[in-house]
Amino acid sequence: MSRAQLTSTVEQNTGGAVAPFVAGKNFLVNGLHEIWQRGTSGTVSQSATAYVADHWWGTRFGGAAGMTMSQTTGANNLSYGLRAQRTAGNTDTSIIQFGQNIESLHAEPLRGQTVTFSFYVRAGSNFSSSSVTVGLQANTSTDGVYFANGGWGTNFASTTLSSANSNLNTTYTKVTVTGTVPSNAVGVCVVFLYSPASGTAGAADYLDVSACQLEIGSVATLASRAGGTFQGELALCQRYYYRQSGTENASMFLGYGQAYSSSQLYWTTRLPVQMRTTVQALDYYGLQVYLNSSGSGYGISSISINQSSSISPSLFVTCTSGLSTNTMYNIFMAGSSSYLGFSAEL
Amino acid sequence: MDNITTITDPTGVESVIITHDDGSFTSMLKSTYDAIQASSTLAANSAPQANSTESLA
Repeated sequence: MSRAQLTSTVEQNTGGAVAPFVAGKNFLVNGLHEIWQRGTSGTVSQSATAYVADHWWGTRFGGAAGMTMSQTTGANNLSYGLRAQRTAGNTDTSIIQFGQNIESLHAEPLRGQTVTFSFYVRAGSNFSSSSVTVGLQANTSTDGVYFANGGWGTNFASTTLSSANSNLNTTYTKVTVTGTVPSNAVGVCVVFLYSPASGTAGAADYLDVSACQLEIGSVATLASRAGGTFQGELALCQRYYYRQSGTENASMFLGYGQAYSSSQLYWTTRLPVQMRTTVQALDYYGLQVYLNSSGSGYGISSISINQSSSISPSLFVTCTSGLSTNTMYNIFMAGSSSYLGFSAEL
Repeated sequence: MDNITTITDPTGVESVIITHDDGSFTSMLKSTYDAIQASSTLAANSAPQANSTESLA
């Protein structure tokens, strides 16, 4: 039965057509690559899986250097796509990998179901790999993390992109991959991986993807936001990561903390949405402790989690000496590049 | 090269502070850091399964 026939049947049976944009249809978060809380470009760290576009990770086998991820133009009239690039001049041939892990709780309805992963893909003019493997993987670990050296799960469906297969060239091409999720799957992820060829990377040694969607069924439908609306999608992203940054207000106050000693204070903050789990990590840059009445700023040397929480973590802040015990101080953005991020990523 | 230090706050909570080359920081509970390190070591024993098609056991 074609989708048109199916839709027609649904209309007859229920009196309403199935809209192409249905919240939750897309099991990928930020599949349209609209949310970039960490910024629109970033270097993939050599020591850990990196996130640039919200909830999309990237890493190189063996923790090799020479990979960036950044925002690019999208396909099918969408504004944005995700670019994975080997840095120009890099000669390392270690596998480049990027993808998205689906939280186990969200993946449950996929068990035993036929699913279709659809996306648009294009390669840069200097793309040095002869092919790209796209895998739909499953594992039996709750909220598993994809590490640089693999070991996450097994492919239950895959396809190979290449110019020879006519599905990889310098203009966006739509690709679909369909498979059946194992009934015992606890985690599901989509992953793109390829090995750069020997030689030096040119300026356009990259792979772009856009309009990524994983849905139940054997037919790819128009890609939509998992959260329905932009605000819904942002809230969904903030389930995994939330950042306050100085880009809108270079001298923003984040909240008050109470001095415990001349160089230490405790601060409890409130997150905009409940996170997947208790806050697992903080990332920060350019913050100060500040006393309004004197205009004095104290550089922060460390912020750590004192009592973790999925909604209201308590933080321990160490700064330069000069605080008065039991006095309330502001946590302060010292510039437009300052930020404080809370992570509960997979 | 990232610089990794461990701190203990006055209530006895241990954290790892990672100082990155660009001057930014990442911090997490030491128990979280240790779990990540242990998992990374396990994962290092198997290569990416780009072409694997076997089903789950």
